[in-house]
Amino acid sequence: MLRKLTHMLSCREATRLLSQRQERALTTTENVKLRLHLVVCVACTRFARQLAFLRTALARYRT
Amino acid sequence: MDAALFTVELDRHRRYLIRIAQLQLRDADLAEDVVQETLVAALGARDGFSGRSSVKTWLTGILKHKIVDAIRQKQRQPVTAATFDDETDREAFDPLFKDDGSWDAPPADWGDPENALARREFMDVMELCLERLPPNTARVFVMREVMELETEEICKELAITANNLWVILYRARMALRQCLEQNWFTDGSRR
Repeated sequence: MLRKLTHMLSCREATRLLSQRQERALTTTENVKLRLHLVVCVACTRFARQLAFLRTALARYRT
Repeated sequence: MDAALFTVELDRHRRYLIRIAQLQLRDADLAEDVVQETLVAALGARDGFSGRSSVKTWLTGILKHKIVDAIRQKQRQPVTAATFDDETDREAFDPLFKDDGSWDAPPADWGDPENALARREFMDVMELCLERLPPNTARVFVMREVMELETEEICKELAITANNLWVILYRARMALRQCLEQNWFTDGSRR
């Protein structure tokens, strides 16, 4: 577990998880890795906010 | 609401319904047909409209079923995994990231994007961006994000795996994000 956790996610992997978490529950390991990545990565944190905004915008488009 | 008024009310949403159907079916005639069926069904089910949701939401719910039926029938000429492979193309080429998996062009600062939501032009840009997605990608994405179908439902309707679906939705979100960034958020004239 510890070894798996210390393998840092790349931005590419982080963005995939951020997208997938809208369809499925991430595993505990994935969640921890993702959080660790977001703590140090400004670009992916920004990306995460933008994905959330996309959802809001599409919901608005719907109604 | 009497029948005549109700018909007028339904007709107000025709354009929106056609856009949604068109995005999913990529077939103008078929889109017209399913919307027509939807409006006829809605008129027949007038008493079933409780008024708890908006007319638009209610119509979208009916349209959802009509589109799923239409896709199911189209399935006779199957939209198979092969069709999707062209558009997903797994790990092969991902211009957004460098070889080491870091961003090639990191996302720009969007400021307060919520401000855009009230703007009609923003919704137009978003619609254009949706139309630019590859056809099957757009179909899946609209099923998920506009029609709000569950993952299992989409996989079943289109006979694709969950993994396949995740890849398609990921691509769609990446493309839509990039398109909005280029055509709205970094376009100085619009903010």
